[in-house]
Amino acid sequence: MASNTAFQAQVYRSLPETERSEAIVNRISKAIALGLLKVGERLPPETALSEMFGVAPSTLREALADLRDQGIVTTRRGRHGGTFIVKQPFTSADVLEKWFRETSIAEIRDVGDEHAAIAAATVRLACERAEPHEVSRLLELATALVMSDKPELRARADSRFHIELAVLAQSPRLMNAEIRLQAETVQALWAPVPLTRDPERVASEHLALARAIANDAPEEAQRLVLAHIRHDIHHLVDAKLSLGYPTSQQERP
Amino acid sequence: MTSPTPAVQAAADIAAWMNALGLDVHQFAARTAALWPDRPSPLTIASSDIARLESLAKEFLESHTFVVGAGVIFSTEAIKSSEGGLEWWIRRQDSVEKLEFDLTPGGERFYDYQNMPFFAAANRTGEQTAWGPYVDYLGLDEYILTHSAPILLNGKFAGVAGCDIRIRKLEEIFMPALRAIPGDAALLNGSGRVVVGNSGAYLVGERIRSTPKDKVLIPIEVPHLGFSLLSSR
Repeated sequence: MASNTAFQAQVYRSLPETERSEAIVNRISKAIALGLLKVGERLPPETALSEMFGVAPSTLREALADLRDQGIVTTRRGRHGGTFIVKQPFTSADVLEKWFRETSIAEIRDVGDEHAAIAAATVRLACERAEPHEVSRLLELATALVMSDKPELRARADSRFHIELAVLAQSPRLMNAEIRLQAETVQALWAPVPLTRDPERVASEHLALARAIANDAPEEAQRLVLAHIRHDIHHLVDAKLSLGYPTSQQERP
Repeated sequence: MTSPTPAVQAAADIAAWMNALGLDVHQFAARTAALWPDRPSPLTIASSDIARLESLAKEFLESHTFVVGAGVIFSTEAIKSSEGGLEWWIRRQDSVEKLEFDLTPGGERFYDYQNMPFFAAANRTGEQTAWGPYVDYLGLDEYILTHSAPILLNGKFAGVAGCDIRIRKLEEIFMPALRAIPGDAALLNGSGRVVVGNSGAYLVGERIRSTPKDKVLIPIEVPHLGFSLLSSR
């Protein structure tokens, strides 16, 4: 598998946004949520961070202050000081409900389409390129999400498995795309809304997919990953609809 | 008398809504034609004409809050100038803005509107059309449906007037009617493509190539559009 440093290069890459402080907060929060940065880990020194993100030191300090206010990081002074990750952030139930309300079925389907395209190529390459010892790691990650009953940990385990597929494919670009797609949907998938995803079923789908890769069966792996993503998308649509469908009276047919 | 099933009721509600919109689009086309009562054809479109078209389009956008774009497209045979063929306005955050198109054949983003289905079909049939859902790559760059009606000058086809609705908006509009139907159901367009589904089973944009055995198609009674409602038997 790729080293943590390779992941971290993704996390700390230069920013395209103008609202940079907010973007830094977002990227670090999502990286922790996806398990790319872990609780207890120390962030690089401020000077290095502002250089990697390509922002002014004041912008970086603003972002760190925001993360501190949210209780996600803490800064300790002294010789063993620095900024440490102390909390696993998870988008609040309110924010997730808002996401479900404001994201149309067409948009959910479209995320699924992109994910399907990325994942189909990823698993084929993974079959071709993965070594046996890497596959055993994938088999472990496949079922990790049943070990936890917390939505944030399930979301992290789920996305970690999908990102690992791209790692096995040996493609930083596919990994980058997978990280972005995971960041967009994984929290909604495990959101504590009335209709929840069945972790046993997801784990068994992951496991079947991991076995197909272990058996070097690209056709089967592709079929399984596409069905898996389709289930995810159906779940998101049904979860959205389970929250009700408010609409303005005047436009009703 | 028995009350209609939820699916029949939904089909009737959707038809009523679409017929009301169709009527307004036809009226938009008629008011456009009325701007040129006795001018020789082919038309020369002056900037004063475009200003009048703009106020018609703006009026349409104001009276239909669910519409994101509205305007007219003239056929190349109907107008003299190479300019002025495509006059379309879209709603931005809090203003209305004119869409700019590349009308140079061979240009990188050439908008070949004469071949756009909502134009070509109205030209061919002389009737209203609804085209979509489609990704409007060269126009709004959004996922939309376009409803258009022919503009007739002296009884001859001269172009179309129409409006764009975002698919996400149509979803909001039709979902209450569709959610009242028990089981999986979907509104399909004339070519059997899902416009809105009431669950994850039928997703917008998918094509239903043959009606599943446990389902039935109820026509949406809107002339010339060929929409239907797929629901359980």
